[in-house]
Formats: sequence, structure tokens, C-alpha cells
Amino acid sequence: MLSILFSNQLEVMYPEIFLGLVAFGMLLLGRSVRNPAVYTYITMAALFIGLLLLLMFDMGTETLYGGAYLVNNFGLYFAVIMIISSLYVTYSAGATLKSNPESFFSLFLLVNVAMIIAAFSMNLIFIFIAFEGVSIGTYIMSAYGKSRRNLEAAAKYFFTGIIATGFILLGSSYYYLSTGTFNLESVSISKGPMLVALILLFVGFGFKLALVPLHQWAVDAYDGTSNPVSAFLSSGTKILAFLIILRVFIVGFQNFQGDVFDLFVIVSIITMTYGNLAALSEKNIKRMFAYSSIAQAGYLILVVAATSAAEATTFVFTVAIFTAMYYSLVYIFMKGGAFLSVSAVRKESVDIDDMSGIGVVSPAFAISLTILMLSLAGIPPTAGFFAKYYLFLALISSNLWWLAVIGILNSAISVFYYLRVIVVMFRKDGIQRDFDTSARVLAPLVLAAIISLVLSLFIFAYPQVSSLVTGLGVSI
Amino acid sequence: MFIVYIFILLLIMTLVSFVVKRSAHKVATVESVIILFLTSIYAYLRFYSYAGGMMSVASFPIDTSIGISFLVGVTPVSLALLFLTTVIMAMAIFVSGRESYDRRFYGLMMATEAGLYGLLISRNFLFFYVFWEAIIIPVFLLIALFGGKNREMASLKFFVYTQLGSVFLLLSILTLFSFYNTSYHHGFTLNMGKLLSTAFINGYITSAQPFWTDFILFGFFFAFLVKMPSFPLHSWLPDAYTSAPYPVTIVLSGAISLMGGYGFYAVIYPIAGTIGFVAAWIILLLGIISLVYFALVAMFQENMKKMISYASAASMGFISISLGVGILSSGYNTYTSITGGVFQILAHGLIMGLIFSSLYIIKLNTGSESTLTVRGLFREMPIVSAFFLGGLMASLGLPGLAGFIAEASIVLSSYSTLGMIIFFVIFGMIITASYHIWAAQKSLNGPYNEFLGSIRDGTRGEIAALSLMFVLILALGIYPAIFYHMIFIYVKGGI
Repeated sequence: MLSILFSNQLEVMYPEIFLGLVAFGMLLLGRSVRNPAVYTYITMAALFIGLLLLLMFDMGTETLYGGAYLVNNFGLYFAVIMIISSLYVTYSAGATLKSNPESFFSLFLLVNVAMIIAAFSMNLIFIFIAFEGVSIGTYIMSAYGKSRRNLEAAAKYFFTGIIATGFILLGSSYYYLSTGTFNLESVSISKGPMLVALILLFVGFGFKLALVPLHQWAVDAYDGTSNPVSAFLSSGTKILAFLIILRVFIVGFQNFQGDVFDLFVIVSIITMTYGNLAALSEKNIKRMFAYSSIAQAGYLILVVAATSAAEATTFVFTVAIFTAMYYSLVYIFMKGGAFLSVSAVRKESVDIDDMSGIGVVSPAFAISLTILMLSLAGIPPTAGFFAKYYLFLALISSNLWWLAVIGILNSAISVFYYLRVIVVMFRKDGIQRDFDTSARVLAPLVLAAIISLVLSLFIFAYPQVSSLVTGLGVSI
Repeated sequence: MFIVYIFILLLIMTLVSFVVKRSAHKVATVESVIILFLTSIYAYLRFYSYAGGMMSVASFPIDTSIGISFLVGVTPVSLALLFLTTVIMAMAIFVSGRESYDRRFYGLMMATEAGLYGLLISRNFLFFYVFWEAIIIPVFLLIALFGGKNREMASLKFFVYTQLGSVFLLLSILTLFSFYNTSYHHGFTLNMGKLLSTAFINGYITSAQPFWTDFILFGFFFAFLVKMPSFPLHSWLPDAYTSAPYPVTIVLSGAISLMGGYGFYAVIYPIAGTIGFVAAWIILLLGIISLVYFALVAMFQENMKKMISYASAASMGFISISLGVGILSSGYNTYTSITGGVFQILAHGLIMGLIFSSLYIIKLNTGSESTLTVRGLFREMPIVSAFFLGGLMASLGLPGLAGFIAEASIVLSSYSTLGMIIFFVIFGMIITASYHIWAAQKSLNGPYNEFLGSIRDGTRGEIAALSLMFVLILALGIYPAIFYHMIFIYVKGGI
């Protein structure tokens, strides 16, 4: 009986089991303890232990459940990133919470359980279930808080999310119909149903990554929810959606690379351009960040375009997947920090102009946000630049100069709206002085800024990290 | 290695400037003078025994599996520009003393200098690009934080324009890197010396896919012409130069504009063999158009700061002319033209430093920079006015001053290529001369504008700094060989 606890099958699940147990324990505790700080610290401790458990039990390579669950260092890397992104927002989330902290945080931990499972899944059903776990948790999290705006945002997120779920299920069925398996592997079969599956799955997962034209929910949801939740939605869950897109479309559709390429190129061009142009004219800072994260999603999926290009070599593949790994890591801090910074303004709906004068009140805040904006715009010596550097290197190496030019023109446009925030922050006249620059707001921001600078040293790790890319599950 | 130590010292000094609590101005001045001193000693020692090739080569590997290493090397071209950078920065920091700027200002100034230093010594393309971009950030912040009216728009425009240029630079670098790996050596390198080789580009890119060569050249030219700035890509210039506070304007015109020129001679000239006849003529004509057009625009400016900004852009037109001529002609003409171009960057930087510094002092004392208000200044501020006049004379190319040497060698060597078109160059020079003299006549000579009241001349320190600058310009005009000779040897030896 006990031996099953120590079998391979279960050992890799220890982090998930641990986090799940803590989550249920917290629900029980909720009957007696009402102080949000307690739950914040429990959650942080649990996530930290979960991280350690991940590193202890999920190192190495193992294939379980008939190929459905692939434990390796590539998946581990993303699982760790997602846990870190959760850890990053936990403290701020606890500080803004007003009621029922126990259910919020237990949901939060359950979302993390689902994210870890999704990071290792190589099977469409596994992915679907884990993904739903994340989605349902985040629906409730975004509805937290009782204002009308919260509820409106959550309702929009929920209804569009449900539709996406339907698409994923239908797409998975078509995938099964044509391949006879839910596992993501190399299959050679007729084209027809597979293309239907491609489109349906793309629509379903594209919803979550907020690709144009499936993006509108993201703008409203990020705008309406509390800042820590939007930070989490736009970092952790977005990276998860990105990882799943990598898995499904690079591994699952490896014999349809031409179609994948066409689809991703078109959508990424539209997404980048639309996101950037919409952000240019946006006055509300959270909506502006939302559009910018749509544009960033456009850059992210260029990775898929590079790997599925006709002239993609092993080198291109390695650099592209390395980009995906690096960009994801940088992204959670850039975007998470940007969304959390909005808390400095004590208002429901914050315009960019409301930031004016914060450079006078708190130089540390202004400098940190400046670094984040430069990193988002992809300007050296920040980590955001090196992430883009590898991305464009992959594109150029696979002979996609035109795509690189479009991407780079987009990144030049984006500079404009990122820098506008900087300029406004350092305004000297006609400014207000009522900002919340307590440690609660400042600490995560400064941390993100420091990390965005330090991560530029990640280029040192290229040899080690690039050796993980085979773990994606495709032989190159 | 010595140059790397100076660079590290400069980085430490930048941090010190950011954190020092009191007397930020004094600290920054001392720091920049120390850097100037060390760089001058280094330059002297190197030039004293120069025999060609690259100096002070050192390599610090970072990630060799993908070609990234901090590779350092200095050529006479970069050394001359290093000298210029340090002079200009010391000057700009020193003259800013009368306005009470805080440590942020001086920290950003030192950061700009560090960026320029890094750009000029690095021979690895990744670091070249990183420093290229890293310079823009402090300058952008300097304009955005300390600029005059309209500073938000001006700083954004400056950043977006130069960013647009540099992203194309990045694409060109990546393309070279990629081709080097796939078709040439099957290895990864970002070494500028290896990537910028005519044999590699002509043999492996142009012969296989001519499009890519054009793509690379376009990226390089676009980035450098924006920075220069050259004719159609200049619209950031008047905003940035006039909105920036004076010390930053000195840096913009003296040190930031050298980036475009340095790109021309360090990046494009080594691969001149890949540039076609048409492209070379386009560069040449852009230079001539810039010269004439900016001179004409400058002529109608009442604001002297704006006028000098356009004058600065006009004389950068000579850089494009020199590169175009250098590509199109051969032998002695090429050497003279290229050397003249490098010398022009140096002379232009020093002259602009002198003019903007003395104009800054005039602005501080009179409160105006318009030729309508500032009139007959010789009566009240004879010494600063004299240096202002000296700067204007040097800028219009008066023999005996540094500007003349550069313009003369470019014009002389370009006759065989340009033929009768040289008339336009001469035309541009005549207009330049006319509005310089005009401005001097209106602002310095004639009856004094009594509404300005009684004003003081510059302080002793300012006059000392201005005179050092002027002596430097004079020395380079009378005995240009100090720099000219080494640059010529280097150019002749093949870059």
C-alpha cells in the first residue's frame, strides 16, 4: 500500500500533491483565522517548498502514463518560471485582498498545481484538464473584489474563456479523429481533419494568449481586475499558454510545418501591429499595458514561425526555443512589475498622466519603472533586449528577413508608448503628490527592475540552457 | 589593456557621480578631467610609436559558443574620437557649473561618456550595438528631465528616430553573423574584424544572394545617417538640440554626432568594396544636399542656438561626402578624403564645443540667444565674444584653424570624382561663411543693445576653459599632423 507512494508514478507528483494539500488545509483554516497576512505567508512558504520539491523530484527525464506525461528539464524550467511568477505576485495580492483570503489563496495554489501539471503534459486531454484548472481558478480570482468593474471584467473573461474551451475540446477531438491518439507526437496521416484540428486548437489556445483577433477579453479583464491579479494573468498564465502553444504546434503538428508557419506568421504580424498601434493611442495605463502584452504575445509566437520555417536548421531551432525560454523568464518580471506598479496611484482607473510627478516623489519608483519600460521596449543593456536579440537572430538565420523587419519596425513603434510613461513620470510642473510608494508597491517593482538588469547575464547560460531545448519533445 | 582600465575607471566614476551627495559638479568635473588626462597620455604614447594596424587588442570571452566576447581594440580613428569625446565631456560638465544641476544630471552625463567610450573601444558587434543603444538612454533622460520647453516631445522624437535607425543596425549585424555561420566558416563570431571583410561579403553573400548585401548595407547606412544626421532623416535634430539644456547640446553636437561618422569609418569603410557605384553616389549626394540645405535653413534662423545646430548638421555633410569620395576614387585621393573625413569629425566636435560653450555663457549672462536681442556684445563681454567669434571662424573653415584642414582635404580629393558638381559643395561653403559672418556681425559688433543693461564677462574658469579649447583648435589648424598623420598611416595601411 505504502509502496505506491514511493513509485515513480507518484514521486514526480509530490509538488502537486503538496500544494493541493496545503490548499485544502487553508480552506479548513479559513473557519477560524481571518487575517490575510497569515494566508499570504502560508502561500509563499508553500510555493517555496513546492519549488524545492519540484527541483528534488522532477529533475531528470521520465516518461509516464503511456507517454502522456513527460518529465524533463525543459518542462521543469517552465514549471519553475511559473511558480516564481506566482511567488512574485503573492505578496501584493495579499496586501490588496479584503475578504475571504483563504479561498483566494487556496484557489491560487490549485491554479499552481494545474500549471505544474500542464508544464509536463504531452497529451491533449492532460493539457485540457490542467488548462481548465488554471482557467477556472483565474475566473474566480479575477472576480475577487466586489466592484462592478471586477465583475464585468470577470464575466467577459469567463464567457470568452468558455468559448475557447469549447474550441480546444473540439480541436482535440479532430486531432484524435485523424491521428488515433491524444498524445503529441510525430504522426503521418492525411491532411483534412488535421487542418481542422490545427485551426480549432489555434483558436482555443490563441484565446488564452490573447492573439488578435481573439484578444478583446484580455484588455477588459486586465483593466478591470485588481493589479496583482492582472499581473498574474498577464505573466504566469500567459507563459503557460505560450508553453502549450509551443508543445501543441511544434510537437503535435510537426508534419504540418508549412501550415503552422503560414498561420503563425499571419497572426503574429497582425497581433504585433494591432497591439502596438492600439497601445499608441491608449490613455489608460492598464489598458496600454494590456495592448502591449498583446503585442508581446505577437513577438512570442514568432518563435513558432522561426522553428517551422522551411529553412530552419538545428541552430535556428535551438536559438528559437532558447528565445522562448529566455523571453518567458524575462517577461514575467517585466510585465508583472509593470502591472503591479499601477498600484502606486490611488485611483480606480489610472491614466498615464496620473503618473506625472512620481519621479519627484519617489525617484526609486521612477527609475525602476524606467528600467522595466526600457526592457519591454527591448533596449540594451536590459534583459528585454537580449531576449529580442535571440529572437531576431533566429528569424534572420532562418532567412525570414521580412518577418524580422516587420518585428523590428514594430519594436521601434512600441518604444514610443513605453517612453511616454517615462517622460510623464519625470514631469516637473502641474504634478500631484499623492502616491502610494510604500514598500508594498515599491519592493516588487525594484525587485523586477534589478532582475531585468541582472537577467542580461543570462547570455552566459546559453550553452547550458540551449541543451535543454530537445526536451520540448521533438527530435531535431 | 590600459584603455580597458580607463574604461573600468570611468564606469566606477559614473556610479560615484550618481551616489555622491554634495558638490556633484566638482566631482564630475574632476572625474572627467582625470579621464581626459589619462586618455591623452594613452593617445600620446600610442601615437608616438604608431606603425599601423590595431592597438591594445584584448579579449574577454563571455559566451564563445555563440560568438560573444568583449573584444577591445583601438585604431587611430577611434583614438582621435576618444580624445574628442573626453574633451567635449570635460568641457560640457565644467561649463554647466553655474546652473545648479543635481547628481542625476552629472551621473547621466558620465553615463553618456562611458557609453561613448565603450562604443569606441569595442570590436565585438554585440557590444558595439549595446553601447550604441546605451548612449541614447542617458541622453534621452537628460533631455526629458532637464530640457527646456517642449522637452517631452523632443526627447521622444530623438529616441524614436535613433531607435528606428539602430534596429536596422541590429538586423544587419545579425545577417552578417548568420551568413558567417551558415556559408563561410561554420562558426559563430561577432568579431567586427572578421565580419566586416569584403572577401567574405563579396564571396559568400553577394555571389549567392545579392539581396542580402543590399539589406546589410541599407541597415548600416540608415542607422548612421540618422545619427549624423543627414538630410532626409534629420527632423529630430532641431527639436533635440534646442530643447536640450546647453551642456547636453554641447554633448549632442560634439560627441553624439561622432557616432554616425565613426560608424561610417569603422563599419562601412572596411567593406567599401561591396558598395556599388549607385549607392556610393547616393551617399555622396546626400552629403552635398545636407551641406547646402542645412546651410540655407541655418541662414534664416534668428535663434543662434538653432542656427548653430543646423550649422553643425551642415558640416557633418562633409562626412558623407568624404565617404562617398573615398569609395568612388582610389589611391591617394581615397586616403586624403577618408583622413579628412575623420579629421572633420574631430574638428567639428571641438569647434561645436567651443561655439556652444561660449554661446551658453552669453545666454547665461544676457538671458537671450536671439540675434534680435543680443547685439553689439563686444562692448560688454569682450573676451567671451572673442572666443565665440573664433569658434564661428573655425566653423566656416578659416585657414589656420582646424576646420580648414578637414574641409580642404575633402574638397581637394573630391574634385577628381565630382568634377563640376563640386560647385555645389563650394556653394554650400560660401553660404556657411556668409551666415556665420552675418551672425557674428549682428550679435557681436555694432551698437550695443542697451536694454540688456550692464553685464559681466565670463568667469575666469570659463575663460580658461574656452581658451584651452581654442588653443586646441588653433594647434590642430597649424600643425594637424598630431592626428592627421597617424590616421593617414592607418587609412593607407588598409582598414
